Amino acid sequence: MSEKIYAFLLRLYPSGFRKAYGGEAMQLVRDRLRDEKGLSCRLRLWRDLLVDLAMSLPREYRNAQPVLASSSTQRRLDGVPSFHVLEDQPPSVGTILAAVLFVLLALGTLSMMLKHVGDHRRSSDSVMQGRAAQTRWAPSPGSAARLSGNASHATVAVSQPAVAPSSADSPRAASTDLMLDNAERQRVIEAAVDNLKKHYFDSGGAEKMANALLFHERNGDYNSINDGKAFAELLTRQMRKVGQDVDLAMEYSPARLPDHPQAQTPEDLARYRNFLEQNNCFYKKVEILPHAIGYVKLDGFADASICRSTAVAAMASLNGTKAVIFDLRDNRGGDPAMVSLMAAYLFDHPEYWYSPRPGPTPQSWTQSPVPGNHLADKPVYLLTSASTWSAGEQFSYDLKMMKRATLIGETTGGGAHAGVWHRIDDHFGMGIPEVRVVNPYAKNDWEGTGVEPDVKVKAADALIAAEKLAESKLQRGKTD
Amino acid sequence: MPKRKLDPLPSAAFQILLSLADQDLHGYAIMRQVLEQTDGRMRLGPGTLYSSIQSLLEESFIKEVDSREDATPGDQRRRCYRLTSAGLKLARSEAERLAGLLRVARAKKILRGDYV
Repeated sequence: MSEKIYAFLLRLYPSGFRKAYGGEAMQLVRDRLRDEKGLSCRLRLWRDLLVDLAMSLPREYRNAQPVLASSSTQRRLDGVPSFHVLEDQPPSVGTILAAVLFVLLALGTLSMMLKHVGDHRRSSDSVMQGRAAQTRWAPSPGSAARLSGNASHATVAVSQPAVAPSSADSPRAASTDLMLDNAERQRVIEAAVDNLKKHYFDSGGAEKMANALLFHERNGDYNSINDGKAFAELLTRQMRKVGQDVDLAMEYSPARLPDHPQAQTPEDLARYRNFLEQNNCFYKKVEILPHAIGYVKLDGFADASICRSTAVAAMASLNGTKAVIFDLRDNRGGDPAMVSLMAAYLFDHPEYWYSPRPGPTPQSWTQSPVPGNHLADKPVYLLTSASTWSAGEQFSYDLKMMKRATLIGETTGGGAHAGVWHRIDDHFGMGIPEVRVVNPYAKNDWEGTGVEPDVKVKAADALIAAEKLAESKLQRGKTD
Repeated sequence: MPKRKLDPLPSAAFQILLSLADQDLHGYAIMRQVLEQTDGRMRLGPGTLYSSIQSLLEESFIKEVDSREDATPGDQRRRCYRLTSAGLKLARSEAERLAGLLRVARAKKILRGDYV
């Protein structure tokens, strides 16, 4: 078999070489096949043959064209094409077939490589929102739980998928349709009651919610529910109704949830870092518009521990501007530390920076003033859309509440609250807020409602509107 | 002027010349000899081997000789190759060039000891 394959590959060489040495080359391969037995020897033999083929084939074709190589020395008339015969006989049918097969093989290999690259890109997307987001779980309304968790306790953003890849994308998570039985329902209820009592910040509220769930269970209210998603949604509604807390969520995932926190390997970190670098830490544009108006299009708040220098460079490049427009219309959230880092440039003294999500290292005050920064007193405009989400909304909300920025565009998506993720079993988990966070500006923040802009225009028109506002403000400043 | 295939002398061609320094060999035997004299580092594949042999033949650094000594029954007649005096001269000049390089390496303290 190996001999036949090599005989086939030998057809790729120029006919002159085949005629002169084809037989001997075949004999050499036969000799090696005879002397080198065993799997490892055969693998080495084929590696040698393929490498040899790749190295010697181009050389042989170059050597087979002596006329062409010397053609430049021949006298040629200007404008008259000259032809050189490279082979003294037309290629045989076998050669053409071999070439076709070779091309198909090459195309097949290329398409496989492209697919691999595609998979890699998709898996890269899973790390888009930073290491902070790797411990964040963002369920979507009425959809499967989305888990990127590297920790059993993870921050939960209720209402929309913002940051995490679907667990169905994980090779470890096999999707199965689950028909709920009595035992499964009971297990979920017991775990929910247990988790609420252990982790919910308000023990009185936890007791009330636990009792309500147990009451419904005793009443047989859950007996007819066989669908996991419907069961999770019902429990969520009941907990929220009794607890008056929209941060609470029970989630169902048809795909199996990982057992343990996935250890973050150095490869994961390297891939994540590489992804951020390739995407310029989500700084899609940093420009100076006419009238010295700075423009930053930021599509996400990348991990500050990796992207600090990019952020610092971007903000420093705006230092000479007279106003700054932050375009958050495609901003899907990210690392609160990056939000705080950027906000620091907009103040000349530390300001309280409200975050509805208590992180592991809360940075409640901006690190202002930033040495050498001249943006603290410059007008700031934020462009928002219905897609602006999570950390993008936090940046908008806080700056709006502090009257430090003018928001222009559409009402944002409305994802604010966060809880901590608790896995119950292979398909159920719940988000529970463990800390009460006080909003200094209002009773409610943007959860479910979004952040209202100061100037309502269509998202597509927001940049033009902002430029006009900025220009007129700068004009007024001149005349004052 | 067409590019000379053996200028500079490729490593594979030099090893083939060395393998033929003291005996006539056929293709497979050359491959084995090169493998041995390079401590297993160079395993010439058929394409590289016969491409180099072709170039060396064209420049008359080696020549073909017939040999039936190791022909097994049913085996085809094998072509053996022999080093010519021009080939010997070429191999010697390449070896001297490499020896010169080694002297420089030693002088620069990249290599130590009496290697040459």
